[in-house]
Amino acid sequence: MTDRAARLTKCFTLVFPGLSPDQAPSADAASVSAWDSLHHITLLTVVGEEFEIEMPLENLEDLASYHGILNYLNQNC
Amino acid sequence: MKVAEAIAIANRSAPPNARTEPVSLLCGFTPLHLETYVKAHLKLRIPDRDIDLKTGLFGDLAGNLERADPGSATAVILEWPDLDPRLGWRHSGGWGAKAAAQIPDDVARVFERILAAVSRLAARGVVAICPPTLPVSIPGHTIPAQADAMRLELDAQLADFLKRAASLSGLRIISRAEIDANSPPAARHDLRLDLTTGFPYRSAHANVIAAAVVDVLYPPPPKKGLITDLDDTLWRGIVGEIGPEAVSWDLARHAHAHALYQQALAALADFGVLVGCASKNDLAVVKKTFERPDLLLSAHQVFPFEVHWSPKSESVARILAAWNIAPDSLVFVDDSPTELAEVQARYPAIECLLFPTEDVEGIARLLDRLRKLFGKPSVLEEDRIRSSSLRTAQEIPAATPAGNADFLHNAEGVITFDAATNPHDARPLELINKTNQFNLNGRRLTEAEWRARLEDPAAFTLTVSYRDRFGPLGKIAVVSGTIKNRVATVDVWVMSCRAFSRCIEHHTLKHIYEKYRLERLVLAYTPTDRNGPLQQFLETFTPLEPQPVQIPRAAFSANAAVLPHSVTELP
Repeated sequence: MTDRAARLTKCFTLVFPGLSPDQAPSADAASVSAWDSLHHITLLTVVGEEFEIEMPLENLEDLASYHGILNYLNQNC
Repeated sequence: MKVAEAIAIANRSAPPNARTEPVSLLCGFTPLHLETYVKAHLKLRIPDRDIDLKTGLFGDLAGNLERADPGSATAVILEWPDLDPRLGWRHSGGWGAKAAAQIPDDVARVFERILAAVSRLAARGVVAICPPTLPVSIPGHTIPAQADAMRLELDAQLADFLKRAASLSGLRIISRAEIDANSPPAARHDLRLDLTTGFPYRSAHANVIAAAVVDVLYPPPPKKGLITDLDDTLWRGIVGEIGPEAVSWDLARHAHAHALYQQALAALADFGVLVGCASKNDLAVVKKTFERPDLLLSAHQVFPFEVHWSPKSESVARILAAWNIAPDSLVFVDDSPTELAEVQARYPAIECLLFPTEDVEGIARLLDRLRKLFGKPSVLEEDRIRSSSLRTAQEIPAATPAGNADFLHNAEGVITFDAATNPHDARPLELINKTNQFNLNGRRLTEAEWRARLEDPAAFTLTVSYRDRFGPLGKIAVVSGTIKNRVATVDVWVMSCRAFSRCIEHHTLKHIYEKYRLERLVLAYTPTDRNGPLQQFLETFTPLEPQPVQIPRAAFSANAAVLPHSVTELP
């Protein structure tokens, strides 16, 4: 796991305490029951703080999974 | 605090068997990060509680207030769109002349509705209102630099609303100046988040509001006493070298910081803070200086004067004994880092503050720090008489009840017991949450818990006041519990240390036995690091093990001291 992925995993387990570090990389809005719109905003805020980047709030579908967010970070950080 | 830190704190588990603390966070927007921050600050302020934080519905602040549970602590976060949606950014109903004409009338009606709702909540709980922190969106017809009539009218209505609300017992207004000092106005609004989610604040601003909300709803216990140095602290100059007439605190000699400090101490003394002095000096010279009519702190406001050449920590020890307070309730101010270090080494719990002799801006920071350390929601009659009653206490022999019996008989003491349950009387709860030494179990109560107890028909509460020929002590004790089958179970019993050595605790027990025709008292006693005086008193009647401690009436009667005071009871 890259450093970036490890930091993203920390963000996921903080916002979704029921998620283990092993489960985080496969998490998405459909599989995590707590992932509602408010948790989504909170997750993006925490990710933005961690990576010191302003995450987009509009394209929800692209960022509705661990992989989607990691891809965004890989392209923009 | 970042959102991630706030989440981590908010997610901390409460201790096992923690009491639940119900709190309402009511606003008209999506609370999102504000909810997280409030929960985090609550966890930090009351870590022994299980926080039950409730929020309301989006876009209906007045309705949320009308539906809220009046028994909990309530934070009301007011923003202009709660008063009229046209004043926010999520509404597109028009900003023209017609709207500008209508809005003030509509806002006035909503203010009245909100005032009625918070009045209901404040009657039974504690309510904090945060006034609007974001500007109105409606542009008006003026350039930004010119205030328009509608904004001025809205500001006037807000000021009137806050003034009326602040007059309600149990209701507190969050200071806009404090918010402004910690959150720059231009960096508050997150329009992107507002339009996307309905949450209008940037994270840092939400954190500032949350911290203020928790400070106001759950204020930290204020410090009780301040010990000040004199030379180059209370005044400029070394009085032993230049004489009483040459020390200064005026603008002309660039010593005005000392005048500000003097009047700050005088104000603290007026508000019930104990002020003493510790100075390496000649006492006669110091007394002469305090005779100067232009000194802004009077000699009668300072007690005791520890003026000699011994180490400052010895002076502090004697003052702590005279005041009978713990080091963590004390602030010590001196211009010498060496003296501060010497006191701090002996008393790590004392808040030691450097007087800023060479830093003009520093005096404002010092005064702000003192306000934070000593501030409290209200000033009670007991605060005003505290210092004089402590002076009087020095005259009472510190001995066993039997040893000072003659003194007490001549004191003409009168004890008044009051079983009324007045939720607007702040003194009983202050005693419960400040008293350490004569405290049954160290248990602290929130305002909501206290008010719930007062409304509980199964509970009894007695407040105890005392006066004698030396003056009044005011309300100095509280006992509370439940009664069933001629057995009282007491879980709150505190008495101010100013009332020690007067047999008031013996009178109190006798009164409870007689008033409620009890056969036995059960005391929810728990030893703490500080409640030694209470432990010693209980051991007069019964062993402290096993717990709960029980005192049959016969055991009390056989061991009670001779009771020297007159007793009255309020209906």
